[in-house]
Amino acid sequence: MNEIVQRVRALLSTRLKLATAVAGITDDTPLFGPTGLGLDSIDALELVLGLEKEFGVVVEDRATAVTVLASIRTIAEHIQSQGKG
Amino acid sequence: MVRDPTSFLPQGLSFRFVDRVLELVPGERVVALKNVTANDPHLQDHFPGHPLMPGVLLVESMAQTAGLLLPEGSSAFLAQIKEARFRAPVIPGDQLRIEAVRRGGLSDLHRFEVAALVNGTPAAEAEIVLAVVRANAGDRP
Repeated sequence: MNEIVQRVRALLSTRLKLATAVAGITDDTPLFGPTGLGLDSIDALELVLGLEKEFGVVVEDRATAVTVLASIRTIAEHIQSQGKG
Repeated sequence: MVRDPTSFLPQGLSFRFVDRVLELVPGERVVALKNVTANDPHLQDHFPGHPLMPGVLLVESMAQTAGLLLPEGSSAFLAQIKEARFRAPVIPGDQLRIEAVRRGGLSDLHRFEVAALVNGTPAAEAEIVLAVVRANAGDRP
């Protein structure tokens, strides 16, 4: 699980070009919204495409994306639950 | 008679930068042509005596081509332009062959890889994200 978390952090850093910001948040910091990293819907698309490419995980719709992309931990847990990573 | 696919674009004629659709697989890929001509009003002042198709209009042409892959009747806005490169000047007499491929999406956002070629040589390329405006967009707060 820890390895998946590190790979998710790397994905956020490289795909969103947010290395400094990502280094400063916890695994439970909200990725979206004013209380967290402040990502937007275009970032969400970038993450969805990155997850598919890096982990083979498909996020089909907005509702799934809202749940899965909540935090670094929820992304890692989703990857693990899909038997990927 | 089949209706010209470019007629489904929301842009008026004076701001339409696609002339003809050669191939169209809805939701997947499209190939279109744009002819560049000296009396195009945009080229007369860009630049006087040295007409050159503005890079932003190349992007517009590529975005409109990508827009042909959206469901018929959709209105969409540019949401993102990434990795745009302009590799060669586009001048009067050139014919742009614009190839757009859909590369995934999420909800109302659609990502495309688009290239514009002149005589088989890339003149411009970009990754473009279009945001489809939902029919009830006006109802949202």
